[in-house]
This record gives sequence, C-alpha cells and structure tokens, in this order.
Amino acid sequence: MRNPYRMIALPLLAGLAGCPQPDHSLVRFEKLSDCPAQTTAGLSARQNELGPRSTTHALECSLASLRRTGDQALLHTSLGSRIALHLAERSTEPEVRENLAAEGVRFAETALALGADGDAAVHYYLAANLGLVVRGHAALAADSLPRLEAEIKRSAALDPGLDDGGPLRLLGMLYLKAPPWPTGIGDGDKALQLLRQAAERYPRHPLNHLFYAEALWESEQDEAEDLARNELVIGRQRLAEGDWGYSKEPWLKEFARFENEISPSST
Amino acid sequence: MTRKLSLLCLLAGWLSYAAAGQPPIVVCYPGGPVSEDEANAAMESMLRVVEKAGQWPEHSLTSVFTSRVDECRKLLAAKKPRFTITSLGQFLEQRRTHHLVPLVQPRIRGATFERYQVITLKSGPDSLDKLAGKSLGGTVLEEPEFVRKIVFAGKLDPQNTFDLKPSRQALRALRALDKGELDAVLLNGQQSAALTALELKNPIAPVFTSADIPLMGMSANSITTTPEERQRFAKALQGMCSDPDGKKLCSLFGVEAFVPADPAAFKPLIERWDQGK
Repeated sequence: MRNPYRMIALPLLAGLAGCPQPDHSLVRFEKLSDCPAQTTAGLSARQNELGPRSTTHALECSLASLRRTGDQALLHTSLGSRIALHLAERSTEPEVRENLAAEGVRFAETALALGADGDAAVHYYLAANLGLVVRGHAALAADSLPRLEAEIKRSAALDPGLDDGGPLRLLGMLYLKAPPWPTGIGDGDKALQLLRQAAERYPRHPLNHLFYAEALWESEQDEAEDLARNELVIGRQRLAEGDWGYSKEPWLKEFARFENEISPSST
Repeated sequence: MTRKLSLLCLLAGWLSYAAAGQPPIVVCYPGGPVSEDEANAAMESMLRVVEKAGQWPEHSLTSVFTSRVDECRKLLAAKKPRFTITSLGQFLEQRRTHHLVPLVQPRIRGATFERYQVITLKSGPDSLDKLAGKSLGGTVLEEPEFVRKIVFAGKLDPQNTFDLKPSRQALRALRALDKGELDAVLLNGQQSAALTALELKNPIAPVFTSADIPLMGMSANSITTTPEERQRFAKALQGMCSDPDGKKLCSLFGVEAFVPADPAAFKPLIERWDQGK
C-alpha cells in the first residue's frame, strides 16, 4: 500500500501580512462533470491512494464527493483535510490556496467533533492546513501559534512516524520560525533536536534533511555550516531518487530558496 | 467611497509620501535570529496596519530588513531611507550621516526605557571585575561599540575585557550559561524581565545593571522628510497598537504602544556617542 501521507505542507509562519480575518469561501472546481461516479464506499476503499501522485482532477473529484457526503465514518478520517492540503499546496493562487486550506481545517475539525481525537493524522493535517491559512496573516498567525503547537504535539505524541516524521518536522519548523524567546515560542535548540530526530529516524523524506539543514544553519555550532550543506546534499539525493509525485516541484523550490539564502553572494 | 477617501488623502498631502519611487523603510535588527525573508514578510504585515492607521493607500509603504550590522550600514547608504527602524546602536552610529531624529519609541511593560543586565550563575563570578577574561554571551554583543559606550557608559571596553561570544538567540546563551559553557550573558530589558519564567537548573543573579537606556523605535531623516510627514508617520504608528490587527502584532513583539520619542532621553546618549567615550 502506498503511503498516503507523503506530501507535507510548508505551513510555516513565513509570510506575515496583516490583513483582516479572511473570509474563506468554498473553492469551485471545474470539470466536475468529468468525474467518475464515486460512491462513499468506493471513496473510502481507495482513500489511501489519494496522495501526491494523484492528479489534481482526481483530488478535486474526491473532495467534491466529500463535500456532499454525510457518511460519518468517512468524515471521521483525515481524508478531507489531507486532500484539501494537497490541493492547496498545488494552487498558485494565494486566495484559492488559503480557502482550500481553510476547508482542510474544517474537515479536520469535523473529524475531531466526530471523535477522531486519537487519530494522529487528523491533528497533523489540521495543523498543516491551519499553517497555510494563517501564513499570510500575521495577526492571525500570532493567535494561532498555541493551537498549532498543541495540534502538532498531539499528532507527534500519537504517531511521530506519520508522513515520515511529519509531526517532528512540522513542530521543529514551528520552533525554528516562530518569534523567539522571550516574546514567542521560537526555540532554535528545540527545533534542532526535533529536526535532527526527523532526519535520523526518517531519513527517506527530503524535507527532513532540508529542515535539519536550516536548523543547523541557525544553530551557531562549530562545523554547523558543513553539516548543513551535507544535509542539503542528502536531501537533494532523496528528492531525486524518490517518487514524490506533485510534491517534487514545490520541494525543489524550497531547496532552492534555502540554498540561495546561504549562498556566499547573499550572506 | 473610495473616491472620497482618495480626495481626503490627497488633501491631507499623503501623496507626497506615497508617490512611486520613495525609498523603502530600512529595518535593522542586529543579532536577531529571524531570516530576512520572514522578517520582510513580518514588516509587510506591520506596514499594512500603518498604512491603514495613516490612511495611506495599501502597499504604498515598503521596507527592507537586515539582521546584520554591516548590511545595515550598506542599506542605509544605498537606499537613503527617509524613515528607519534600527537598534539604538545603529541609530547612534548612523545619526549624523543620515540626519536621523528619533520619531517614536515602543512602550514595553509601561516603560520607554530598559536596563541591560549581565547575568552569571550565583556560584560564579559575582562582579564585573571577577568576570574579566571570561566569556560573555548574548544577542546584544553584535554591536560591541554600543555595549561599550552606552550599556557600560564608556567605563568598560567589553572587547578588551571579556571573551565575547555573540549569539543570535538569548535562550541559547542562557542555556550555555546554565551548563557552564559561558561565564555570563548580557541581556536587554525584555530578556531580563522574562528570566523569572525560565526554567534553568542553576540559580542566576545579575552582576551588573545599566542605567536607563531609551528603547529605540522609528527614526526619520530630518533633511529629506518634512515635519508634517514625520508627524503623520508618528501618528500612524501611535495608532498601530490600538488597531485590531495591529494590536495582535504589537502583542506578538511585547509592545504595548508606540509613543512620541522623547528627545531629552536621547540627548545624553548622543553626546556620549559623539564624544567617543
């Protein structure tokens, strides 16, 4: 069975643009008439296939089905939140991305309301989507930090290996990017520890190495620069040799962004 | 409605500032751990609130950020900003070259000044004299001249007295102190105030506390800006922390409000800096 959790958001608190509380409307998909007939049972049976290698159209069809369904068992899962996240990350339109991520948050909240508190994936995709929602809104991001931290911690406690160490990766990046002590929860040491764990325990995932490299770069340790560059090489290799589907392109951009940041010409 | 607002703004004279081609606000935060991309994005957030408070058109204000002192000097020289947000050290150093005058100051925990402290383990050196030759860490050390002239009031040269270990994270420096990897840490007022909530294994104590040092906010080039522009900008910033979005941002950085800068608070520091002591 293919791992359904390969694609991970980059929902960090990077973009901070003070805006009013956004009004998230449902994103309309085109060509839904082309969607294959899909029963709830069918969707449930193939939910693990829906991931980074699925076409955007397939994900849109599935999300459209989920919007219509009243099936409690299906809504109890992380599927809706996960699909929304995949679609959000593929979108180049900030407003569309945000609306899809907001829908992902709502799906996760529905799952929790139906009793999915013990499902690490629900908390994980809730946090990943929430990160994308607040990415463009500093004030909202500030308000959401405690919830983000709590959701990721919960998913890490339930299943740290989810999405190749996804909870560790997310939590580590949250601590790396959040405002630092004494005004915020940012903590470079905690970030380094978590991201080292992610890279060591789940070495298959390219972003584990990229993010560990970023934490090393900020660590002020001796030889950290060499170690960071080494992690980047490993991460690039993992990205090249793995089948990461639609995730590959945005991840390549993430590598390029950090490599540019640490290039001698920009320091 | 939009037209009415535009007309009002035009009458108020903001177009002179908001016109295309105005230099960006240069923001320098030496010693900060944030990446420039993230800080620039955070500044975007602040500027949108300031634009709203000052009734400037959205995206009429821009900024560039750096956390490096050398880069700050370059940016100030290259961009020739009319408004800047810098550390106090950079303000004092660049004041003459760029004709900077303080515009607004943040108010944090009821005060517009702070006191720097040198912290050691209680079991360690109990005076600055006993710290001589030992390691001193902290984020403030990115600006050693500021530390010498202002924090230590010209009475002690940290570069010749201590083994300086500048850090971009105060928490990391304090943990190093706790583990015995550093002998002392220099903290700013905000960092000192947060010490009580910090869980360290070993008791710590200040061995030095500076005089009151004004908190630095925004400054303006007094040649390339008019008094009206400065007043307008200052007023917009003063409204920032009462704006619903701005309030959250202010809270994020621990700022209660921005208030008009008190020139008298800066005068003795400017004199001391210019005397080179």
